[in-house]
Amino acid sequence: MAGAVMPTGARRPRRRPAESGPVGHRHGVRARVVTVAVYGVLGVSAILFLIPYYLLIRNGLSTDAEITSPEWTFFPTDLRWENVTELFADTETHFASSLLNSVLVAVLQTTGVLLICSLAGYGLARIPYRHANKIFYAVVVSLMIPGAVTFVPSFLMVSTMGWVSDLRGLIIPGLFSGFTTFLFRQYFLDFPRELEEAARVDGLGYWGAYWRIVFPNSLNFFAAIAAITFLHGWNAFLWPLVIGQSNESWTVQVALSSLLTAQTIRIHELFIGAAISILPLVLVFLFLQRYLVQGVTQSGIKG
Amino acid sequence: MRLSHQRLNRRRLLALGGLAAVGAATTACGSNTGRDGGDPNKVDLSQWYHQYGEAGTQDAATRYATEYPDANVSIQWIPGDYDAKLASGLLSEDGPDVFESHFNSQMATSGQVVPLDDIMADFKSDFSEIDLFENTWDGKVYGVKMIDDPQLFYYRKSMLTEAGLAVPTTFDELIAAADALTGKTVKGLYLGNTAGAGVLNRPLLWSAGQDLLTADNKIGFGGETTIAALAKFRTLHENGSLLLGAPTDWWDSAAFTQGLCAMQWCGMWHMPLIQEALGDDFGVFPMPPVFAPADGGRPSIVNGGWSTFVSAKSKNVEAAKAFVKWLWLEQVAHQEDWALSYGFHIPPRKSLAAKATKLQSGTAAETVALSQQYGIGANPAWTTTMNTALNDLVTKVVREGADATAELATATGKIDDELAKAGG
Amino acid sequence: MVSTALKAEAGRPGTPDRPRPIRRRPVRGRTLAFWLFVGPFLAGLVFFTFVPIGWSLWLSFFEAQNTVTPTEFVGLRNYTEMLADPEFRRSMLTFTVFAAFIIPVTTALSLALALLVNRVRFMQAFFRSAFFIPAACSYVVACMIWRLSIFNGVRFGLANTLLLHFDLDTVAWLQTTDPPLYWLVLITVRLWLQLGFYMILFLAARQRIPGQLYEAAYLDGASPGWQTFRHVTLPALRATTVAVVLLNLIAAYQAFDEFYNLMGNTAIVRPPLIYLYNTALGAEQDFGRGSAGALILSGLIVIVTLLQGKFLRLGKRED
Repeated sequence: MAGAVMPTGARRPRRRPAESGPVGHRHGVRARVVTVAVYGVLGVSAILFLIPYYLLIRNGLSTDAEITSPEWTFFPTDLRWENVTELFADTETHFASSLLNSVLVAVLQTTGVLLICSLAGYGLARIPYRHANKIFYAVVVSLMIPGAVTFVPSFLMVSTMGWVSDLRGLIIPGLFSGFTTFLFRQYFLDFPRELEEAARVDGLGYWGAYWRIVFPNSLNFFAAIAAITFLHGWNAFLWPLVIGQSNESWTVQVALSSLLTAQTIRIHELFIGAAISILPLVLVFLFLQRYLVQGVTQSGIKG
Repeated sequence: MRLSHQRLNRRRLLALGGLAAVGAATTACGSNTGRDGGDPNKVDLSQWYHQYGEAGTQDAATRYATEYPDANVSIQWIPGDYDAKLASGLLSEDGPDVFESHFNSQMATSGQVVPLDDIMADFKSDFSEIDLFENTWDGKVYGVKMIDDPQLFYYRKSMLTEAGLAVPTTFDELIAAADALTGKTVKGLYLGNTAGAGVLNRPLLWSAGQDLLTADNKIGFGGETTIAALAKFRTLHENGSLLLGAPTDWWDSAAFTQGLCAMQWCGMWHMPLIQEALGDDFGVFPMPPVFAPADGGRPSIVNGGWSTFVSAKSKNVEAAKAFVKWLWLEQVAHQEDWALSYGFHIPPRKSLAAKATKLQSGTAAETVALSQQYGIGANPAWTTTMNTALNDLVTKVVREGADATAELATATGKIDDELAKAGG
Repeated sequence: MVSTALKAEAGRPGTPDRPRPIRRRPVRGRTLAFWLFVGPFLAGLVFFTFVPIGWSLWLSFFEAQNTVTPTEFVGLRNYTEMLADPEFRRSMLTFTVFAAFIIPVTTALSLALALLVNRVRFMQAFFRSAFFIPAACSYVVACMIWRLSIFNGVRFGLANTLLLHFDLDTVAWLQTTDPPLYWLVLITVRLWLQLGFYMILFLAARQRIPGQLYEAAYLDGASPGWQTFRHVTLPALRATTVAVVLLNLIAAYQAFDEFYNLMGNTAIVRPPLIYLYNTALGAEQDFGRGSAGALILSGLIVIVTLLQGKFLRLGKRED
């Protein structure tokens, strides 16, 4: 499974005509009807899927009076870009610090996971050791434990160490992903041995071979795992909610959720904040879709 | 906000350090309760508030804290589910030293808060019986009441007049009025997004002539009376005259001022906002009697509000107590500012309430008078577990139409268990 | 894929075929290298997964309200209390029903989208992106849009604006319990966020099916459409389907974000994780019962997963 080249690239994949069925002369009319119907269904679905983005931008650039008015305005005539400055100036939202926390959490967690789990995956795949099997089974067992169910004991652990409301508590417990290690191990099992043979000739040990040969030749796979890890780090909610108890340690998700249930809410601020919060990921999705798709197909279980 | 930035920077450095030292994670538990930026010779105190909806309150709280000469006090201003955040915060090392909350006996018995009798001694006589009772357990006072918040119904005078309706004086009239006031884009009554399950529980029982607990701490409700009261509440719910799904809940006056509903259950705190939006076009009335006075029916008003406490986990209990004494007992000007400058709250100090001129005219005066006549306070023996049981009962019977007798038995069973635990 | 890989691993004794060491070096050196690579991860895994679970197990046998260092041993009381609590049982039941509904719907719709997107050539990248981009959105942001702007209960929500336009009454989507309209909100938000994700899995798998399979089917007289779908596409996507169902199942039982942000803590619909969150970390702070409940839920998830694996014959390989 790992290492399979995903054809769903950013570019349109090559397709064989036969895949769409035998579009002969006799089927011409029918095929055309079917095609129109397919485009119709896809078009309507795509519009439905895009409506939430429309609302995000519409509300984010309106005033509350426009949003709550009895008459629906399709789009505000005056685009209120000052909503952005208003949001950052609002001391109750803690938006700037939350955004910064999210960036730190997602970036540090992605870096840490890539480092720790790839090394472990390589070790388990390539270095012979008496107890390697037992350790690998422990990893598999940890995969069986439903992740979100462990949040109560994990919280107790982190709380005992005084990491509540602290970036360490947000980041570190998420660094040791059994699943990512599992994926890396599978990947390295399929890694061409001949490349490493070259390292042997150069007299490199495991450590040298890993950094000089294995890592530089696996950048695609690392990028895929990085994309998906970043996505989950950025969008995580339950754990940051449990850990981020002081305003200063909120991530952007926790900040938005808190504002959503606040005593009084300024709808336009919430929406512009939400729009800003998804911007980095939407950009990643648009421009790095190939890696993401690869990451998704290879590590779907984390969804 | 420079203060918090510096603190953040330090945290981030710690985080990075922690990341590098991940192998030695266990030993890396540096303390980060220190608040850089303050005077290093003073102790650091953390004070927690729930998010008040009135503009200016956070700045005021911060101002009081900075003015305090004997400690570096930092403010946590918490929107969302304050009770949950507080509960977990009190367990962690990073919890508050001083916090506002509502008292229940479990906070005392489980040792979460410390008694404040010593700092209260000189001021006790200035607080009302109700306010002292709700913060007292086993003869000790644990909390200082900061503000009294009457909760009652607001109504739009113009809408009632237009519909030819008088202000409801019984629960049946309230049901009928809500129905008559409901139109296509305006609903009769707003009780919040849980349709009143929760906020109207206590007034419903009180106005039916019952109570949560009796004077000797047995269950104070049940039987036919409760079942009949729940049935009426269910009728109100079934009529489709309740507004539901507004962006903010009953504690915010937005639904009322935006004209989404004709009547709303809310607190006195938003009266200045309502006045600003609606001018004279509003009035107030208490929760009307659910049954005839002969059957125990009576008007009632929730005498809510917030009290301040000192966490037993605080590393500086004495300093925290000194701060509470300074702010909520000695600094009369701050207390007055807090109660009257942003929203409207009744100052719990008799001496202050007497000279609160803003509350001595118009609808505010009327509300104060109603709350003195009908207001009922909280009972410290009523714990969160009991409250959850009552909430589930009302939710299931009123909103889902479950069998009242069976659900009542479940709820009272849970409450009895809890009372037995507390008693044993 | 994931599941098949797992299964393949678990079923292969003595994993993996012992690789030859890169360089002849003494056993001790290799051991050292192994720990250099695996050590940090293993320490973290033990410390942040196995130790907390052990501690949780220990706590579950104690009266541990408001404390994490309890002293009062109560045996199985926390377990019996949790199992006897109708609220907890109800939350488990609700979510078994929720899972039974959301899993087939998500699987079927994402498969349908994948096949439709696969069929078109013009604007394929646009459609794929349109369906996939919601996966970039967090539950919090999606819930905010749903709760404040699409399905709010007042006249300025999108859904109610449409109803008013057709002269119908406004509806309180999240608060109406009879019929339980809130499910519409909860399910549409989940579908919006997740369909694209699973669609990508199906799309990738569909594009791996060799065209010759279809040609062979046409030669055998199969007509395009249902017959090839039934006899070629579906069997070839079997392993992906199993993986999608499995992922869905785990996700359904761990539902938290949308319920927390759309419904709050209400007795009406309370998924197990919300219940545990409130028991352990909410106002109750009962770590004994919270731990017991978490372990019961884990047990249930493992059982259902195994049953489902058996039911879908997890072992079949895709490639």
